[in-house]
This record gives sequence, structure tokens and C-alpha cells, in this order.
Amino acid sequence: MKKRLLLLALLLAAMGAAVGLYFYRQKVPSMATQKADLTLSAAELFAAFETDEAAANARYLGKILMVKGQVREANTLADGTVKVVLNAGRDFGVLCEFDPNTQHPRTTFQPGENITVKGECAGLNFDVLLARCVVVEE
Amino acid sequence: MMKKSWLMALSLGLWGTVLSAQKFMTRDARISFLSEAPLEKIEAINKSGSAVLDLESGRMEWKVLIKNFIFEKKLMQEHFNENYMESDKYPNATFKGEVVNAREINWSKEGTYDVRARGKMTIHGVERDIEVPGKITVSAGKLNVTADFKVACADYNIAIPTVVRDNIAKEIAVHVEAALTTLNR
Repeated sequence: MKKRLLLLALLLAAMGAAVGLYFYRQKVPSMATQKADLTLSAAELFAAFETDEAAANARYLGKILMVKGQVREANTLADGTVKVVLNAGRDFGVLCEFDPNTQHPRTTFQPGENITVKGECAGLNFDVLLARCVVVEE
Repeated sequence: MMKKSWLMALSLGLWGTVLSAQKFMTRDARISFLSEAPLEKIEAINKSGSAVLDLESGRMEWKVLIKNFIFEKKLMQEHFNENYMESDKYPNATFKGEVVNAREINWSKEGTYDVRARGKMTIHGVERDIEVPGKITVSAGKLNVTADFKVACADYNIAIPTVVRDNIAKEIAVHVEAALTTLNR
């Protein structure tokens, strides 16, 4: 009886450890698999942060946003990171840093192009930053 | 558009003489950190830090958004944001201060200069006076800045639960590198 209980306890512990290890090992999922909380334009998003940063943070920080806008500039860093800035009609705009955990079908964009991106709002740092972005085909 | 190219021509033409009167900036600063503990190695990088440096006054400001740190593992990213940094409450970390020896350096001459930055570092809502060494390399109109320093979790009220104390280092090694230019990028 005691042996059986001990065996059972060990088995449960091993299963617990396996489950724990599984979750621990999980990589950050691709933004393509995440659902957007809100949809808005780049101009709208930037205006919200410019008007009242605290209120904009309360509303958008940490949320997955679907943002539509016109490309102002796009470039790829030496390490392959793609950054696209969407026009907000101001000196700075909405900076979309592309998701490193996604294979992006497109990494080059023309200024003036209208695109829709999905990313997590990280806050304001001159631009409004969207982290781990993917382009959404409409 | 016209304004930018005019400014560009002006700054390039007068680069040698008015370098010290210019503001340099980047929004591509790379800030990474490493925690080496007995049980685990945790590292993350942020590729969109901002830095502004006024060579004349020596004033320098850096800002990085916490939610933009890139981790390999999902749990680590979650714990970092939700438990340690509380990034919903404190979305950014900043440094506001000055390059102490800015006036002693001949910025018009290309080369690598040892500098000291002194000012206020704010992490997790806690502000502290710090002074760290760094290097600035003047080359082809750019200022390449690098710095390495340690951040003690306790100094910024970052609480490491006892259960993970062997997974997270008490002092985190931070590495900064950025190329500042006189244009918007």
C-alpha cells in the first residue's frame, strides 16, 4: 500500500514537472495568432497620446491594436529588424517594430502606401510604439 | 520635405565648425540586459530606445519602453512585465542627466572618447542618482555611444520572490549601444 502511494506521488510529481517544463519552454507566440482588442487609425492613436499620455496609456497600453495608416518611412536594421513609421500628421508617428517571431511575407514598404498593422501598444517614446507587429491583409 | 534637405545640407556643410552646437538623436538605441543566476540565464533586448544628446550643454536623455523588451520565452516576458517591472504602471525607464566631461572633448575630431554620464535613472517608478562610464566614438557625422553598467534590483524596488532567487541575479548587467545622428533617425 505504502509503495503504491509513493509511486503515485512520484508519478504526479513527474507529471507536474513535465507540465511546468512545457509551459516554461513556450516561446513568445507570433502576433499573427493574437486577436486585436481595438481598431483605429494611426492619426487617432497618436492624437490620443499627444493630448493626454496618462489617459492614452490607461486606454491602450498593453492592448493589441489594429492600426491603419499611411507609411511615412520604412527601414530594416542591420540585424534584420523591420521598422515602419505610420504617418500621424505630426513630427512623429506610430512606430511599428516587426515581430521577431513571425515570418513576414513583406518587409519592404513604399512611403505613401496604406497598410494595416497589428501589434501591442508599448506607449509613447517620441513615436507611439507598437511592439511585435505583423501586417494584416485586408 | 524641403525643410529637411535644407537642414541636412546645412548641417553637413558646417559639420566641422558647428558640431558642438548640435543636438544628436536616435530612436534605434539598443538596450539589452543579462541576468546570470545559478539556475538560469535571462536576457532581453530593446531595439527602439530613444536618446537625445546636446553636445554644447552635455545634456543627455534616454528612454526605453518596457513592453518592447524582446524575450525568447513567453513566461519570462510575462513575469518581467507583470511581476518585476509592473510595466502597466511604469511603462518606461529613463535616464536624464549629462555627459560630465562634454566640454573637455573636441567633438570635431573623429575618435573614441571616454565619457562619464551623471544624472537620474528612473526604473520601476524609482528615481536614483547614478554615474556611469561610457564611450562615444565620433565618426562620419555620427556619435556611436556604448555603455555597460549594473542595475541592482533592490535599488529600484524590484522584488525577487524567494522561490526564484536562484533564477534571477541580484545585479543585472545592462549594455547600451546607439548611433546618434543629427537627422530624425
